[in-house]
Amino acid sequence: MEYIFEYYFDFGLMKDQFDPVLEGFWETLKLSIIAGILSLVWGLVLAVLRQLPGRAMAPVRGVVIAYIDIFRGIPLLLVLLLVSGFLSSAASPVGGEILPRSVGVPDWFGQPSPFWYGIMALTLTYGAYMAEVYRAGIEAVPGGQMEAARSLGMSHGQAMRYVVVPQAIRRVIPPLLNDYIALMKDTSLVAFLGFTEVVQAGFNFSSSDFNGSALTLGALLFLLITIPLARIVDRLIAREQTKTQRGGGGGSVAPPIPTGMAGA
Amino acid sequence: MDDAPTTALSGDGTNEGGSILALDDVCKSFGSLDVLKGVNLEVARGTVTCVIGPSGSGKSTLLRCINLLEPPDRGRIMLEGKEITGKVTGDQLNYVRQRVGMVFQQFNLFPHKCALENVSIAQEKVLERNPGEARDKAKALLERVGLGDKLEEYPDRLSGGQQQRVAIARALAMEPHVMLFDEVTSALDPELVKEVLDVMKELAAEGMTMIIVTHEMGFARDVADTVVFMDAGVVVESGPPSAVLANPQHERTKRFLGQVLENR
Repeated sequence: MEYIFEYYFDFGLMKDQFDPVLEGFWETLKLSIIAGILSLVWGLVLAVLRQLPGRAMAPVRGVVIAYIDIFRGIPLLLVLLLVSGFLSSAASPVGGEILPRSVGVPDWFGQPSPFWYGIMALTLTYGAYMAEVYRAGIEAVPGGQMEAARSLGMSHGQAMRYVVVPQAIRRVIPPLLNDYIALMKDTSLVAFLGFTEVVQAGFNFSSSDFNGSALTLGALLFLLITIPLARIVDRLIAREQTKTQRGGGGGSVAPPIPTGMAGA
Repeated sequence: MDDAPTTALSGDGTNEGGSILALDDVCKSFGSLDVLKGVNLEVARGTVTCVIGPSGSGKSTLLRCINLLEPPDRGRIMLEGKEITGKVTGDQLNYVRQRVGMVFQQFNLFPHKCALENVSIAQEKVLERNPGEARDKAKALLERVGLGDKLEEYPDRLSGGQQQRVAIARALAMEPHVMLFDEVTSALDPELVKEVLDVMKELAAEGMTMIIVTHEMGFARDVADTVVFMDAGVVVESGPPSAVLANPQHERTKRFLGQVLENR
């Protein structure tokens, strides 16, 4: 019994190892924030492309749907390995150096290439998840909104930009935050490429010390961010629901989008 | 409306003897459902046309065909001497929507924008008026429909009648030559109907060309220059209210009016 406590909560070790673990967590945060912002943008682009009207745009819609299906359907780790493997080999003599080294093995802003491979893989995958969230939001905006905008002379693009998407985004902030939480946890997969984020930092210690306290410390750092985020999500949902119940006169207020964790 | 009905033709079309809008054999199907089966209709500039008929008779679809929200499958529509049917192009949509305003049964106000913004946004984005000018115009129009004290209110804080008046102001802001009203009082509580009808009466008195789908027989009798009775996708009979409403010639018209009046 005592050993359990000692294995997970050796405060002496935690104190000694706090700084390197925190440093790892800082890398985790950087990964999640950059990939999170890029996924938000990429997801919205995908969702809007998917809504393009008319027969002429059918190929675009088809490509987007295929993209979303593929990237939601394969493990993030696989994407990570495929991206990093291709880019690094394409920039090497093996791949005929078809990519310049600065692209194939990027070290932008002083971050090593695994960091950027991680950003790319996370964005590719979470962009697909978030596109689905945006889509649900866009489709929940009543069709009369688009018609009203079009009848006032707005183009499809203007109607999306000024009328539909602003209403959709309001409703999908909670599920997008949920996706962000999932993304943040998935940054740990970048450890697979030898990048020292918080999980890798903790694992280095735990495997040399035969003690998991550094990993526990990493877990606590995650919870420090993810629990408050989860509470914010709850509050946003509750607020949206009271608003919907109140807005009787509107007749055009759709229910909020149910949240679902993306990491399925 | 300063410039509505008097400014004559744009383009090189001919006026066709004072008719601003002429429909010739307009047909529209949704899948296997034939909604419009050859509608013929002429609307003279500055007149009020009330379209009545049982639900499912194609009245709303007719309006939606006129502003190309639903392009007709067959037939011709001439708007101010120019054909707007055939292959629908972007230019054609612009031509139509600059000239035709529409008010919907469900109001379709933009819920994320206040009354003033609802009326000014399309002016800014479509007509490219500068924001100050658009706001001034919006303010004047909202005052005109009796909402000068509700400029900053959001739709969910307005009654149905107030929302519908904002919607009318929003359509008028684009300075249309023809206004389409699609059962605009059907979603209103009975005590709110009058305030909307009064605004429409005022518009009619000022010479706005209006096509009104309505179940308000009293309104049609008082305001319409022409009453059009539709049933099963065709115009059964049309003429001045004194003829169609008071002395209908067709059996179907008689039956419909009998049923409507019975329910009063």
